[in-house]
Amino acid sequence: MIAIQTEDVDIGNLIKAAKKHGTGAVVVFNGIVRDDDITEMELEAYEDVATQDLEKIAGDATERFNLLHVDVIHRIGRLAVGENILIIIVSAGHREEAYRGSRFIIEAIKAGVPIWKKELTKNGGRWVHGEHGHGSGESR
Amino acid sequence: MKVKVRFFARFRELLGTERIAEVAERTTLPDLIKQITQKNIEGHQAIFDERGHFREYVIVMRNARRIDLADAEKNIVADGDDIAVFPPVAGG
Repeated sequence: MIAIQTEDVDIGNLIKAAKKHGTGAVVVFNGIVRDDDITEMELEAYEDVATQDLEKIAGDATERFNLLHVDVIHRIGRLAVGENILIIIVSAGHREEAYRGSRFIIEAIKAGVPIWKKELTKNGGRWVHGEHGHGSGESR
Repeated sequence: MKVKVRFFARFRELLGTERIAEVAERTTLPDLIKQITQKNIEGHQAIFDERGHFREYVIVMRNARRIDLADAEKNIVADGDDIAVFPPVAGG
């Protein structure tokens, strides 16, 4: 499952579905809204392009690390502290491939998929600066 | 001819989500975006520097393909183009 959506997912069910024949390891990455003295986080995406990018990243990871199954669900909309932002589930024959595949996917998302986060605070909000770009502009 | 220009994140806050622009033949990509942003000083300054060049962090996509902004002047927009302008991504 590759998706950009507002709804949360049942990670337990996804793990069950990821256990394909030959699976020896499942790695779950779950990005969560951290309590950085914020009230909520607002996420937006250039959805068509972001979904295509996620599909390509999942395909590249599958090929490169012999993954047996990949789920990438990135949520958008307003999320409260503690809510899931991103769920990446990969399965592989061995832990090394599963760990490396999961890491490859999260780093590729951070490097180039058009998704943005704004931290909402009592005093307004501030856009989160990407790790791979130069300053995205002043906070507002 | 008509082209669609979309803004995301901070640029969306400054310039709005989407504009349909009527442009002349042979309009370049930078000129299109300058035409749209010219009446919004803050939005314009977020995208262009003092010399009128794209700021280095700006990302532009044309029909879902990223444009090399070093060659942006060579990009002539076409009827029906879908242009997206946004700051560095921060997903994950």
